Amino acid sequence: MPGLARHDLDALRLKIAALEKRPLLAEGAAMLAERLGRAANDRGENADPLELLAAPNGLLHEVFADEQRQSGAALGFTFGLARQLLTSQRQAVLYLQLMGEGQELGLPYGAGLTQFGIDPARLVIGRIDSMTELLWAMEEAIACRAVAGVIADLASHPKALDFTVSRRLSLRAAAAGTSAFLVRYGRGREASAAKLRWRISPAMSGELPFDPRAPGIPRFQIEIEKGRLGDKTQRAEGKTMLVDWTENGFVSVEPKRRTGTAVHRTAPSSRPVAAPLGHRLSQAG
Amino acid sequence: MRLAAVDAAAAKANLISGQNLSDARALVPDLEVREIDRAYLEQVFADFADWHSNASPIVAVHTAAAPYGDLVLDITGVAHLFGDEQKMLEVLVNRLRALGFTVSGAIADTVGAAWALAHFSSGRIVPRGETEAALASLPIVGLRLEEAQVSGLNQMGLKTIGQLYGRDRRALQARFGETLILRLDQALGRIEERITPRLPIAEYYAERRFAEPIGYMDDVLMTARDLAIQLGLRLEAEGLGAQTFHLLLYRVDHKVMNLTINAGRATRDPNHIAQLFVHRSERLEGEYDAGFGIDMIRLAASSLAEVQSTQLGAFEVQDGAQDLDRLYDRMTSRLGPLALTRSKFVNTHIPERATKLEPVIAQTEDDPEALPDPELRRPLRLLPNPEPINVMAEVPHGPPMRIIWRRIAYRILKASGPERIEAEWWRSGKNLEVLERPERGSKRRDPRDDPKTDTQKPREPEHVSALAAFDPLTTVRDYYIIEDDGGRRFWIFRIGLYGAAEAPRWFLHGFFA
Repeated sequence: MPGLARHDLDALRLKIAALEKRPLLAEGAAMLAERLGRAANDRGENADPLELLAAPNGLLHEVFADEQRQSGAALGFTFGLARQLLTSQRQAVLYLQLMGEGQELGLPYGAGLTQFGIDPARLVIGRIDSMTELLWAMEEAIACRAVAGVIADLASHPKALDFTVSRRLSLRAAAAGTSAFLVRYGRGREASAAKLRWRISPAMSGELPFDPRAPGIPRFQIEIEKGRLGDKTQRAEGKTMLVDWTENGFVSVEPKRRTGTAVHRTAPSSRPVAAPLGHRLSQAG
Repeated sequence: MRLAAVDAAAAKANLISGQNLSDARALVPDLEVREIDRAYLEQVFADFADWHSNASPIVAVHTAAAPYGDLVLDITGVAHLFGDEQKMLEVLVNRLRALGFTVSGAIADTVGAAWALAHFSSGRIVPRGETEAALASLPIVGLRLEEAQVSGLNQMGLKTIGQLYGRDRRALQARFGETLILRLDQALGRIEERITPRLPIAEYYAERRFAEPIGYMDDVLMTARDLAIQLGLRLEAEGLGAQTFHLLLYRVDHKVMNLTINAGRATRDPNHIAQLFVHRSERLEGEYDAGFGIDMIRLAASSLAEVQSTQLGAFEVQDGAQDLDRLYDRMTSRLGPLALTRSKFVNTHIPERATKLEPVIAQTEDDPEALPDPELRRPLRLLPNPEPINVMAEVPHGPPMRIIWRRIAYRILKASGPERIEAEWWRSGKNLEVLERPERGSKRRDPRDDPKTDTQKPREPEHVSALAAFDPLTTVRDYYIIEDDGGRRFWIFRIGLYGAAEAPRWFLHGFFA
């Protein structure tokens, strides 16, 4: 379409979204575009891709990791995104996995979740027999307005998950304002209606303050492969960034600090945790 | 071998049940004999018993006294629905006779008296207070006694129940055992005899009978919805809700199908209940078989709890908890009760046991003692079964430099540890040994075998073997957090110590983010 400026196209898309009664999507996109624009103006440069990490509700995300052995990083990043969506109205995150893939990828582990900053009581772990049932469960959960996010962790490449299905999920997510995440593994990409696609790889962690030889707090390398939320996000496509997961959420790691000391601790849980044993003993007298 | 039952033709040839088979063969050389199939009879009786719950809510099968069981119905407050007791007995007996069975029945105040009458004076109805007189002329076998007791009593010339009435109870008890007195008292109503009903007794139920049997699942579900509305109104009037609902489908060929759903919290919302049955029916697959049709459907509620009517709107807090409960109910009714789970902490140091998965709709209280120690780093993902790894360039009592896991080598750059976890000495005979896992890809593990799903009772996970004695050398795991040159963070452990009789082995147990 020569002659038609990019922002006109964007405006048109938003108008269509509004006509199709997808107010949440339109609103979210507008909000994000505004925020990105503001961030860009503040720095006088391109939009900071980090802003995308606080994506609005109601989007279908795809999170890709190159290999199954990076399942820890992929899930960590997804939980990071989903945690921001928890509100007092949306109190639960659903994690769905196919039965039998638990040994391939590992199951979310309660004690680790607490340390990562996810309250295990808010995370519902579903292990489901077949892909059809899993997709049904996903749609059902997306339609519930009390769910913050639905995460499907898929070790395999099921045939059932095609473009039509992803479009369905995307529309449902937009209609109910619940975000959906497809966590997948491999380098192949299929056509999908996901608004955002991330490629996650783990990165060498920074140093812990008192133990330089120990693995540090979670650090991910994030590449935005797809950002279809207006032209500003589209411009962020192909960008990579390095982020740490801290108690303040995702924090960008400046290139010069990459080998430096990371001072943040991992995000704390919103629940009370047991005092260390010594403390308990002293209380017991 | 003895005859358990004889048909009319055999009875005409003077054969009786309880007779020796060789005696019977001698009397009737061309006797046709079939072995009694107890499992089948039990099944048929169970089906019959369930089906008879359309006549009375309390139906039981007594198997102690007769070779193929007795059907016991408590008809208190039911008989008037059939007209009177006489008519009820006729209806029940005749509908079984119409199916080609030999039936005898009787109505009396007690189970024991009814049994004696049904077996030895069929078709009688004994009014209240006349039990003693009615039983007096019946043979002593009518008391449901053991064979030895019967022959003993007969030897003493005690042939009828009436002859026992005036006897010295102590002498009878000393001579024939306690059960004689017990049975006598039960028959005469001096001791209450309990009937254990096969189906749960529901105080609240709604039912519908059909003039024409129905067969389609859709019709059944529509009826379930109507019944849910009726039942919901009744429950609302009482300020109650229920967590469990049973949909009993009575087939014309005397079988009862029972669909049960469980809700996360007590409810009486007909839409929700109907929806749960719709999802439950989608999980039925081959189980549903209407046979020749269904002529009655009953919806019963159990696990009742008080549910106060709440005002919606105005100042209500919309925290979505109700929506979530409904979502979990719907998903559970279609995916199965174990599909949706939540992590729960268990008070133990052993990593795979420290968290268990508990169904969302059957929540239990948190154990505050079980909350994990925040100072101990734990992985985000845990493998249900630790996987063995090969460790190269081993440093004694230190983290490995290179490992091979799933046939890929990793160079370890960072490590922290060890965190030593020992077996719980107060549980004798258990250690931290890792058992061989079945071949990968050969067979998917049954979810119920998964130690993490085990919520019913603390069954020991299958990968924890039992050892006769506590052996400190094999009950130590040293956990390390390692990071390879690609930034992958793993949780590995070593079992056994260097210098021990057995070489230490390494396993990978989890992934950090």
